[in-house]
Amino acid sequence: MLGRVAESLYWMFRNIERIENLSRFLEVSSAMDLDSGIAIEPWMPLIDACGDRELFQEVKSSFSSEEIVDFLVQSKNNPSSIRSCLLLARENARQIREVLSTEMWEHLNAMYWRLKHEGSFAGLPSLEWLVRIRQDCQLFYGIADVCFSRSLGWQFCQLGRLVERADKTARILDVKYFLLLPHGENVGGVVDQLQWIAVLKTAGGYQMFRQSRQLSITPKGVAQFLLLDRHFPRSVRFCLDGIHQALENIDPQQASSERTLGRHVGMMRARWTYTDIVEIIQYGLHESIDRLQQDLNKTHNQLEEIYFHVSQSFSL
Amino acid sequence: MFSDYKPRGGFDEYFVAANRPRSCLEPLISSLGNLGLEEISRSHSAAERLLQQVGATFRLYDSDIDGGERILPFDPLPRLITAGEWASLEAGLIQRLQAIDLFLGDVYGDQHILNDGVIPREYIETSQGWRSAMVGVVPPLQRWCHVAGLDLIRDEEGTWRVLEDNLRCPSGVAYYLENRRVMKRMFPSLFHSRTVQAIDDYPSHLLQTLQDLAPWTETPKVVVLTPGSFNSAYFEHSYLAQQMGIELVEGRDLFCHNGRVWLKSTNGSQAVDVIYRRIDDDFLDPNCFRSDSLLGVRGLMELYRQGTVAIANAPGTGVADDKLVYTYIPEIIDYYLKEEPKLQNVTTYRCSCAQDLDYVLANLDKLVVKSVSEAGGYGMLIGPHATTDELVEFSNRIQASPRNFIAQPTLYLSTVPSISHGEVYPCHVDLRPYCLRGHEPWISPGGLTRVALRRNSLVVNSSQGGGCKDTWVVQDDRPSVNV
Repeated sequence: MLGRVAESLYWMFRNIERIENLSRFLEVSSAMDLDSGIAIEPWMPLIDACGDRELFQEVKSSFSSEEIVDFLVQSKNNPSSIRSCLLLARENARQIREVLSTEMWEHLNAMYWRLKHEGSFAGLPSLEWLVRIRQDCQLFYGIADVCFSRSLGWQFCQLGRLVERADKTARILDVKYFLLLPHGENVGGVVDQLQWIAVLKTAGGYQMFRQSRQLSITPKGVAQFLLLDRHFPRSVRFCLDGIHQALENIDPQQASSERTLGRHVGMMRARWTYTDIVEIIQYGLHESIDRLQQDLNKTHNQLEEIYFHVSQSFSL
Repeated sequence: MFSDYKPRGGFDEYFVAANRPRSCLEPLISSLGNLGLEEISRSHSAAERLLQQVGATFRLYDSDIDGGERILPFDPLPRLITAGEWASLEAGLIQRLQAIDLFLGDVYGDQHILNDGVIPREYIETSQGWRSAMVGVVPPLQRWCHVAGLDLIRDEEGTWRVLEDNLRCPSGVAYYLENRRVMKRMFPSLFHSRTVQAIDDYPSHLLQTLQDLAPWTETPKVVVLTPGSFNSAYFEHSYLAQQMGIELVEGRDLFCHNGRVWLKSTNGSQAVDVIYRRIDDDFLDPNCFRSDSLLGVRGLMELYRQGTVAIANAPGTGVADDKLVYTYIPEIIDYYLKEEPKLQNVTTYRCSCAQDLDYVLANLDKLVVKSVSEAGGYGMLIGPHATTDELVEFSNRIQASPRNFIAQPTLYLSTVPSISHGEVYPCHVDLRPYCLRGHEPWISPGGLTRVALRRNSLVVNSSQGGGCKDTWVVQDDRPSVNV
């Protein structure tokens, strides 16, 4: 497989994952916005969860919900807005159509044209609109699941999707944790059930949390579930297991402890496997998540170096 | 829906005259009538949306990734060619391409045809398609032109003629294939009760043709070489690679080493046997052709000469679709095959010939003048539609370099009913069948029908308001009579 094809597959899935996450964030916040009596306004944390506060302040003059949603949904100035991500994902796909199944390409392309024909909108998108975008992403995964061969290309798709997902799950937890429990010493204090339910819903894990714990919702419990649960497919640990597995499938050599990439991913995975939530909170939840993000960035850089930009290293 | 339809100058493929359908078209005309114009228009819009969704689009140069991307306008009224008629066209195409391949092997080889004075040597060596680097090269299977897309037209009597040969990198085959898929989805009822020849096997035949070019291996590695995703025909390049299940590469993905061409991949390098290139000769190899090319592969031509890699089409085929050389195709067929041409050329005047030149200059306002080396409707004068200034300017250009121009009578291409401004209107068409030559020749049933959707326009090129139609090769469509 060509390095640039691997890179396009990786980014195509990463961008779709980003859209799916973002639309779910917005969906949950829109629903919360309709409830009265919730003290914390739901929008600004989303900007932080995307790590885009600086950019937002550069391109937007007010913090109104309309401006925030515009920034997240359709701003051309935000490369991570839903529209920008869709444009990029579709362009990734267009460049490597020859390796995709026709149905994957046509679905993604149809999403692109539908958004383009709709044009941009003023105010908040409807819940319906957000649900449809999310379901479109899930349909894309479904199509890939039933008709894309599990060969090398698939592994790069998984990497893109899991790196993005681990990052987003951790960020949403980080932001909300800080917001709801600004002082570490309050851990375990009064729980605003609605807020923590929203955190779980934002990560798409409310029912799964209920099933796995069958206990009341505590901040620690939520953090444990989203970071360390073995079975929930959006937990950080689950994603890291998947990243490791995909690397093994691509090349067991590179994934072994003898190589930089293998060592790095192995360490990262161990750090989130052989631990518990008490330890993490003691060390500092924010610090742990910060470190995770650095580790994910480093993983990405190594993928670029070893696989995506490989053609630069062929010289005679 | 055809009651107001009036065929006009030229040969109409549906109607002999108003309300007098050709007998073989009667069943289709009645099926279309049953659907009705309103229903057809509705499905027409849906069909164009579908083409957009499947990505059968070309991107305009200089536009960003969210910018100008268009579909080729699609007309839903199909064009019919009967199987009998098609068989004779097919035979004509096979004959012509066989002769052209022999001609190419000869002019880049022993040059008998030039030594015998059938074609003036200077015409060949001054052609823009001539590649002196190909002299003495023997390509695999001694085949030169593996994929051709000749442009055929029907004249006022309905006789099929070759307008241009297109022997370099003919495009449009992806539209030909996608149009059929869209027609089936949007107008399934039209396919019932008639046998339209299937065309889905084109990618298999293309792959077979390309694999044939690497007789040195049982498992040839074939790739499609594209200039990149910003090329306007990128859709077709990726589409063909996908349909054949082979890799789509850019020049930077390949390199030459130890006597082979290699593909740089994530798990080491792989040797490449056949390159189906969709870039022009000039850009193939900076060591051999244009030294500033960034699209090609340095050292490729040397390996091609050594015979370790095949290139389709072979470099240098352009000399045979020079429009001046085109005028010699009947002589070429006679010279190599000792046969009469089964497919005629269009009457053509050679400006390089004094007698013809006088005639052309005196009748410029009635003729179509074309530059010999350009295609796609560029470098062309349509006398009857030109202003006096344009005529003077072209007259000067012709006299300055007569070798570079040919002229043809203004042709009233045949018409087929098409939807224009919500009405059924006779629009001019041509036909581009796709012709393959590996071990065996293979001609796509039908081809891409291009249609001049602008009323009264004679130009079918997409750059000038042209669109396309699905083309059906059918068994004679008349219901059989019970005796």
